[in-house]
Amino acid sequence: MKRELTLTINGQPYTGVVEPRRLLVHFIREEAGLTGTHVGCDTTSCGACTVLLDGRPVKSCTLFAVQAEGHAVTTVEGLAREGELHPLQQAFWEQHGLQCGYCTPGMLMTGAALLERRPDPGEEEIRRAISGNLCRCTGYQNIVRAIQEAARAMRGAAEPVSAGQGAAGAASAARGGMVP
Amino acid sequence: MSSAEPSFQVIGRSQPRLDGPEKLRGSARYVADLHPAGLLHARLVLSPHAHARVRRIDTSGAVRAPGVVAVLTAADLEPTGLLAEGEVFYAGHPVAVVVAESEALAEDAAELVEVAYEPLPAVLDPEEAMRPGAPLVRELPEEHASQAMAAHGAAAGGARDEPRPRNASDVVRFRRGDVEAGFAQADAVIEATYRAAAVHQGHIETHGVVAEAAPDGSLTIWTSTQGSFDTRQGTAGTLGLEEHRIRVVPMTVGGAFGGKFLLLEPLAAAVARRLGRPVRLVLDRVQDFLVSRPSPAAVIHLKMGARRDGSLTALQARLVFDSGAEPGSPVGIAALLLGGTYRVANLDIAGYEVLTHKSPAGAYRGPGAPQAYFALESHMDRLARRLELDPLDFRLRNAVREGDPRPDGRPWPRLGLVECLERLRDHPLWKERPAGPDEGWGMAVGGWPGGLEPAAAGCRLDPDGTLTVQVGAVDITGSATSLAMIAAEVFGLAPDRVRVVNRDTDSSPFGGSAGGSKTVYTVGPAVQRAAEDARRQVLELAAERLEAAPEDLELRDGRVSVRGVPSRSVTLAELARLSTRFGSRYAPIHGHGRVAQRSSSPGFAVHLARVRVDRETGEVRVTGFLAVQDVGRAINPAEVAGQIRGGVAQGIGRTLLEQLVWDDAGQLLDANLADYRLPTGDDVPRIEAELVEVPAPDGPFGAKGVGEPPAIPVAAALANAVEAAVGVRLNEIPFRPEALLEAMKRAG
Repeated sequence: MKRELTLTINGQPYTGVVEPRRLLVHFIREEAGLTGTHVGCDTTSCGACTVLLDGRPVKSCTLFAVQAEGHAVTTVEGLAREGELHPLQQAFWEQHGLQCGYCTPGMLMTGAALLERRPDPGEEEIRRAISGNLCRCTGYQNIVRAIQEAARAMRGAAEPVSAGQGAAGAASAARGGMVP
Repeated sequence: MSSAEPSFQVIGRSQPRLDGPEKLRGSARYVADLHPAGLLHARLVLSPHAHARVRRIDTSGAVRAPGVVAVLTAADLEPTGLLAEGEVFYAGHPVAVVVAESEALAEDAAELVEVAYEPLPAVLDPEEAMRPGAPLVRELPEEHASQAMAAHGAAAGGARDEPRPRNASDVVRFRRGDVEAGFAQADAVIEATYRAAAVHQGHIETHGVVAEAAPDGSLTIWTSTQGSFDTRQGTAGTLGLEEHRIRVVPMTVGGAFGGKFLLLEPLAAAVARRLGRPVRLVLDRVQDFLVSRPSPAAVIHLKMGARRDGSLTALQARLVFDSGAEPGSPVGIAALLLGGTYRVANLDIAGYEVLTHKSPAGAYRGPGAPQAYFALESHMDRLARRLELDPLDFRLRNAVREGDPRPDGRPWPRLGLVECLERLRDHPLWKERPAGPDEGWGMAVGGWPGGLEPAAAGCRLDPDGTLTVQVGAVDITGSATSLAMIAAEVFGLAPDRVRVVNRDTDSSPFGGSAGGSKTVYTVGPAVQRAAEDARRQVLELAAERLEAAPEDLELRDGRVSVRGVPSRSVTLAELARLSTRFGSRYAPIHGHGRVAQRSSSPGFAVHLARVRVDRETGEVRVTGFLAVQDVGRAINPAEVAGQIRGGVAQGIGRTLLEQLVWDDAGQLLDANLADYRLPTGDDVPRIEAELVEVPAPDGPFGAKGVGEPPAIPVAAALANAVEAAVGVRLNEIPFRPEALLEAMKRAG
């Protein structure tokens, strides 16, 4: 009944013996012990479990683990390189693109896939791209901004952007006022 | 503000969250990530009936299923009331729990539990439930205020000795003056009924808990909760244990919004005690919808009168809150806010909390307030329109000020409603209100009285020169970063040199629950005092080492030096090492602060929204949003703005998309995230956050709570915008496209 399974996660080979009904997300979380990929629903609605399968974003609660046989999975734990935050992670942090953090890994994976495909996405395009990932904390605005900011950083452009959350935000907030 | 304003090093400068990296790397630990050795998995068996007698529970098939360790019913647990006993009161009422070696095996076996039910008449509509002769929902338990409501400061007072209609579990009445005389003086009187649907908090992380019992029966409970001490107390009370025998470990919370107060912990703890192995109970999404405590549906009948000059003459209201199968709705706070936002001499408000056979109601971001302000602020716009008054001036004229009586007779403390209205009045967006075809703007006010709960804090200087701040309040909003900033400000350190820890209820000083917009307001001052205490100790020790008077010393950049003699100095790290080594003659640096705030600090917001109505489909799209809010002082402005945007997005959800729908038999029809539509990035516009700072007299650096207010005015702002766009009004949230089409057709 159980099936042997071999795949790579974040470049590491994993072999396991799983029931055919085992969902990929449970394999990632329990067999591989990578708990950064979260479960929020079981209807492919919330996107908290988004990972990359051969570079494409998939909802790992909607794939059986055996469907990933021979494929390359990337999870949030695979984003940082040698301890350094990925530009997208860095941008989410600096642009306040996360609060409770539960949707964040899925959001990051969707964002990473988008930027791989489209190095300079517009706001509407980003909002469409993340419309399969629910966030209940942020109102999405800073997530959109973070993805734009990461895009800029990844293109290597030197132009500084959105100082608003930093010094300018502080200056305006000193007397109250608008926070961009 | 005046030039005498103190200048801050840290406060008011946006600071990325200190918990950012761990959440971004996927290394933050949520409760479902825990796998203690020997872990068992529990799965609930839920009632499919809204109301039924439980005739028999046959567990024999489930017990024999692979991997099953136990199948427990009410009688198997101590105490017995943790599962349904003999009768179920809502679809989703837990009747048994299956415990197995894996989650999948527990789920398989739960299917094999055979329960024989005898269905009983279900009462689902609160207004029908109130009629004389309606079936009794259940024998009313003794009066008990909901923990969650109390934690939110949502228990509102008011006369409660009113006669109770059938199935009403609470009645609140506020009266002032003579409403009939008030209506007689009015030039316009408007009467309408508003309805708000029940909604779920929609936290993406479902409810979950892991419990483990020691051989002596004492417990460790890892849980996703807004209140670790509240959980400890509630579990201890339910299980009949002394509090110290329970250690609650608050895990990273994947969203709560009022929904994560004591729920599964006593059951998981009782199962763990019974089985002697750690037990994990994490709800799947369907069970989360069925078992957790939604925001209650409300019907608000409102009648208000005003004179041509814009003064209000009378307000009369009747509120009915559907509390589901247990008492604990926020009807009291809704009644208080409905009558407490504007100056009106004649008031008569009656609020009823009514039991029905549905999931018991709970708290959700400003419990009761979104419902109340949907009615009040829709009505204010109507009155302004009828009397041909500017809607903003009309509100400004009547807005409560500090010292004005609330409906319960107590005076409002300092509040910034007028300042918010003035800020909006002067804002270019209000002046211009640019609108395309089928677009319109609407404004609305909303407020929250602000919660209170005592808190203590510790502040320890560590040998690396950093501070460890100990608190007992859970961080659900970024509050830990703000608390770190408070300590950092006191010490002149960078915020990342401060760690805020809340390890467990054994080691943390007491802190209240994170709810009611009160963590920064109540825990912040304790942290401030603890840091000041530690700073005093640092200066005393440094004075001795540097042979100088403490008042001649300055603390800057992690170093204490004699003013004017920078060479005579000692670092914080050196002082910490001096006072923590073997044989040292100096006491360690450890500051304490403890505070019981007695005056709440209300938070008011004014929203301006633009919508576009699709005349073909009746769909409403939000195309612009400005949220003006009095935040006292923004300790971390970007995170305050983040709270505001998140609150607005939730308000948009409950106004346009979300609704818990029960069928005629009491079945919840949309208990999943495919049918229950939460707003996506496509549904939410850019939201401009405008911070007004009316300092709270007792708040840390003037700060007050900010989490609740932004979710409150949204529904009325959108309803008012719809009327501006297409000339018709919706009195029910969520807006139904077919209702809007129908209304437009009727209006021609």
